[in-house]
Amino acid sequence: MALATGESEGLPSSGNTYSLRPAFQHKFRSSTVKECIHAILKETLANVQYNPEETPQLTQSLSETIKDGLKEKGFHRYKMVVQVVIGEQRGEGVNMAARCFWDADTDNYAQDVFMNDSLFCVVAAFGCFYY
Amino acid sequence: METEKKRTKEDTWTSEELKKHLRVSQSDSWSEDKKQKEKKLQRERETHDMVDYKGYMHKDQDKERGKTKERTGGQERYKSSERDRDRIRERERGKDHHREPEREKLKEKIQEKDAEKEKHIKTKDKEKESDKEGDRKYRRDDRKQILIQNNLRTHREKDKEQHRRRESKDQLEQANIRDEARERRHTEKKTKEGKKSERKNSLSEFLTVKDEGGRHRHKSHRDQELNKDRERSRWDKREHEHSVSRKNEKSSKEGSHELFVIHGEEKYVSKRPKEGFSIEDQERQMSEDNEKRQKGEKEIKKRDLKDREHKKQQKGSREEETIHLYERTAEDKGKNIEKEKKEDAKQRQHQGEHESTWKPMQRQKSEEELEVIDNCLTNYEDDFEDYEDDFDDDDNEDDNNNEDGDSEEKLREIPGSKKSEIEEIQRAINAENERLNTLLPKQIQKEHKKEPKMERQDSPARGSFCGMFMDFETANQRQSNRNMASKQKKRSSELLRLIDLDFSVSFSLLDLPPVNEYDMYIRNFGKTNTKQAYVQCNEDNLERDIQTDEIETLEKWTQHPGDSVLVSGGPRRSNDVSVDTAVTPKIDSQRLTNFLRSACQVIAVLLEEDRVATQPRWNLRSRQTSLSISDSCFQLNTNLPFLHGRKVSCLHISQVQRQALLSVHGLPEKPGAVQLDRKYIICVWNVWQPSSPQKVLVSEAEVSCCCFSPSKATLVFAGTKDGSLVMWDLRENSRMHQCVKLNETDWIFRAPTFSTDGVLSSLNHTYPVLAIEAVSTSVYKEQSYGLSHLSFQEEMSGLSFHIASMDENGTLNLWVAVELQKVDLAGSQNDLGLIPGGKVKLVHSSSVQLNSSLFPKDILYLRTPQTLNIKFLPSNPNHFIVGTDIGMVSHGTRHDLRVSPKLFKPQQGGPRSISVNAVDFSPFGKPVFLVGCSDGSIRLHQMTSEHPLIQWNDSTNGQPVIALQWALTRPAVFFVLDASSTVYIWDLLENDLCPVAKQSIQSDKVTTMVVLGEPEKTNGLLGIALAKQSGIIDIQYVKKKWALPQSEESEKLQLLLQQSL
Repeated sequence: MALATGESEGLPSSGNTYSLRPAFQHKFRSSTVKECIHAILKETLANVQYNPEETPQLTQSLSETIKDGLKEKGFHRYKMVVQVVIGEQRGEGVNMAARCFWDADTDNYAQDVFMNDSLFCVVAAFGCFYY
Repeated sequence: METEKKRTKEDTWTSEELKKHLRVSQSDSWSEDKKQKEKKLQRERETHDMVDYKGYMHKDQDKERGKTKERTGGQERYKSSERDRDRIRERERGKDHHREPEREKLKEKIQEKDAEKEKHIKTKDKEKESDKEGDRKYRRDDRKQILIQNNLRTHREKDKEQHRRRESKDQLEQANIRDEARERRHTEKKTKEGKKSERKNSLSEFLTVKDEGGRHRHKSHRDQELNKDRERSRWDKREHEHSVSRKNEKSSKEGSHELFVIHGEEKYVSKRPKEGFSIEDQERQMSEDNEKRQKGEKEIKKRDLKDREHKKQQKGSREEETIHLYERTAEDKGKNIEKEKKEDAKQRQHQGEHESTWKPMQRQKSEEELEVIDNCLTNYEDDFEDYEDDFDDDDNEDDNNNEDGDSEEKLREIPGSKKSEIEEIQRAINAENERLNTLLPKQIQKEHKKEPKMERQDSPARGSFCGMFMDFETANQRQSNRNMASKQKKRSSELLRLIDLDFSVSFSLLDLPPVNEYDMYIRNFGKTNTKQAYVQCNEDNLERDIQTDEIETLEKWTQHPGDSVLVSGGPRRSNDVSVDTAVTPKIDSQRLTNFLRSACQVIAVLLEEDRVATQPRWNLRSRQTSLSISDSCFQLNTNLPFLHGRKVSCLHISQVQRQALLSVHGLPEKPGAVQLDRKYIICVWNVWQPSSPQKVLVSEAEVSCCCFSPSKATLVFAGTKDGSLVMWDLRENSRMHQCVKLNETDWIFRAPTFSTDGVLSSLNHTYPVLAIEAVSTSVYKEQSYGLSHLSFQEEMSGLSFHIASMDENGTLNLWVAVELQKVDLAGSQNDLGLIPGGKVKLVHSSSVQLNSSLFPKDILYLRTPQTLNIKFLPSNPNHFIVGTDIGMVSHGTRHDLRVSPKLFKPQQGGPRSISVNAVDFSPFGKPVFLVGCSDGSIRLHQMTSEHPLIQWNDSTNGQPVIALQWALTRPAVFFVLDASSTVYIWDLLENDLCPVAKQSIQSDKVTTMVVLGEPEKTNGLLGIALAKQSGIIDIQYVKKKWALPQSEESEKLQLLLQQSL
């Protein structure tokens, strides 16, 4: 199992005019994020077999790809945290959970799971609004 | 390699040296005297030292060579220690500078002591030890001063320094020895290479010097000069070497050390003004201290050298060298003071790295040496060596410093950005802590000095200057961090008021249940060793069979309602397409049956008439037409099995259909047919068809009176002794009623269509019904004489008539016969008296109590008269007359109108006990009526008068009159039947006092009589039906003279009546 995170930062604020809420069209929408993640995962992991040597690089590249992909979605002023976990499918039970201390009005997350015969991949993307 | 490098370095240095030489030459003049004195002293001492030194040199040489090999490996360590030593020396020198005279004395004393000691102690080692001891003493003294002066330093640093010093002391000797050995080698080398490596610059510089010194000296000086240059270049080279070696060792990506150093310096310089003032002051102080220390160290060195020189001198060699050294040191003392200021400035610019300060000093020294050389004619080589010894120290120091710096840089750089990050974080943390604790910047510095040391324990001897440098940088960063942090904090505090942070629920990112082993196995290995084999067995070769027979179809048609005979049809076979074109003509079966019914009736009547016409005479004759009054007679065939033994109680002729006769038969005397024994029978006869009754009606109750419906003889009404009214609808289908086969003939006994028996109990009669009359509602029609026309109208207008029934108690009920629109074969729920499938019912209309209304008080006073019979006035059905048992006939109306006369009385006397047995209105529209009484009297009354027109009292010989009726064809003729079965014929035109004819029937008692005839026909057929006690109904046609109407008979009768009035 390998884990990699990539971070990106939105535009910084200027002066004391805080924008407390994202514009509606720039709001972190789970569905679109999930679609994005899903597309990337499908494209990348379609015929990938689990290989313990290559997986760390794969996770890193995946996280970077997804992060870049999310940046293009135009979630302004959002700080993205993308967590990618790839594990081998060996029949073991896996339970992953996340908990966040955040502003529920602005911040959100999206997650998607990809599985094939040899591996499973869990991607969780958290978007934290930068006020 | 080395030589080339040296040259390049030398080129650079020579240009600088030139300037410095110029500078030094200016400042040299004033310190000349001082130098001279010192030189003399030194010379003396050095002579002693020289021998010692040489011996020492030789002895240690082997050792040194061994060590040189190790040096490359242990260089770093040594250098770091050496650098510390230099620092200490510097400090000592700085201190020494102030107490120069004292120290000089002390030194001299010590030297003297040493000299004395040396005399006693031959061995070098001991000498060295003493030297060291002396050194230590001085150093300790110095250290105390340092502690006093440098109160800024922390205890820890002191400890560190002490530690370093201890190390350095141990290494000091070795280092010195090593340096000397190295220098020796170098000098040897240089001497060889010196001439080759001469350059124009150095030559031109020393041309002036040439005159003063000899060639050899000049040469040696040149060598020395070169040596110096080489030393510097070597130092530079060493730097490079180190860097190269480090590069090689670590094979890391760091750049050249120099670059880093310079970079660090620049950074430092740029940051320095920003730093707190205290730090600057401190720095300055420290640099000054350093200067002092340097001087002190130099002196110590000199002293060491002196000691050695003394030793050498004892051996008798190398005097000049020491002198030279002394001279130089003296010069240095003087110059150093001057240079301090410049150097301070330089130090500030060059980041306090004393290497930079030392270089010029070294150059100065070399220049001083030139002057000294003029005076001295001693062994230059030794001098060089000594000098180089000193110089090499510096070099080493420089190297060490540089290397330390390098190492520091290295430490800073090698761990990469991570370490710097960690440091920054730590610094930030510290800054936070400091702010909180409000500590002084000093303390911060101390803390920061600790940290690097702790981090870099690999290099225990770490420069305090470098620590300082770190401090400034970090402090600067800390400052910026602090600013940033405060900004952030402010921002966060502002924002946190606006934002609510909360814990989200736990998102389940993945929940993958464990797969059980079997599934896992199957998934991984379940597909292995399996193969799909395909087999095909001519599957596409299929046969299809039709398993069902062909469906035969046949076209048929039906018709609804099935009126015609042919209600269904169609071709016999499917192939026989020809439609049955021979369509049978449509027959309206209903119309046919109706037609046949009426036609049958007509034909039957015709046949009967034909028979009667041919055979009655025979029949009648055979029966012996006994009556004199009649032309012909015939009997209704009452010889029927169900009529045997039944007495005819009542006869009725329809007013419209004159041939229709009703005969009421009572119960048989002896039981015959079982079914009808308990029932009363009414027979409907057609007079023209006497062979059998048209209809046979059955009633449960005893029928007292009966009548036909007025407009058409389709309904039969009957009043019973039970007080009920019974009605028969003759149009009803025979299937509704009981059919009994008697004597090969089917007889239909019709049950009543409607009976008030048991229903309408509140309105029903409670006494036996005595009379029942049909009352036509249309007054005008009744008034018209054309009865056929009337009947036709009646038929058209439907059942628009009333039925009046009167009982013994004098109650007159009026009923309405209502024809139902809808026939309910299952029986009506509301009309309980109605037979199932019946269409006509009786509805009670009104009720009149005749006794109270009809009779006056005086009559009622005697006794309530009993009503016996009732007749309605034909011209006005609202008026009626009621016969009573008091011999009077009362006159009443249906609507309680006042009429007069109220009573029609006999001619004589009041009310008597004479019952009025028969009342009859004249059928010709005259308002006159006949009254037959039980006393045998007959009265002819007029409606307008109370008393009769004519009264015949004894016409019947006192026999009560049973029946009395006007003739239908002649207005002046009427028939009377008395109780003795005698029939009287009265013709008023002929005889108005007695009957014209009289016929007594002896064979059988006649119970009732009814007159039948057809007034509209002029055939003069007038008959009387006589019901006899035996049950025979005789119909006698009276003779033509009484039957045929005469001309103007009505007028004559009118005249007669008027006359009688």
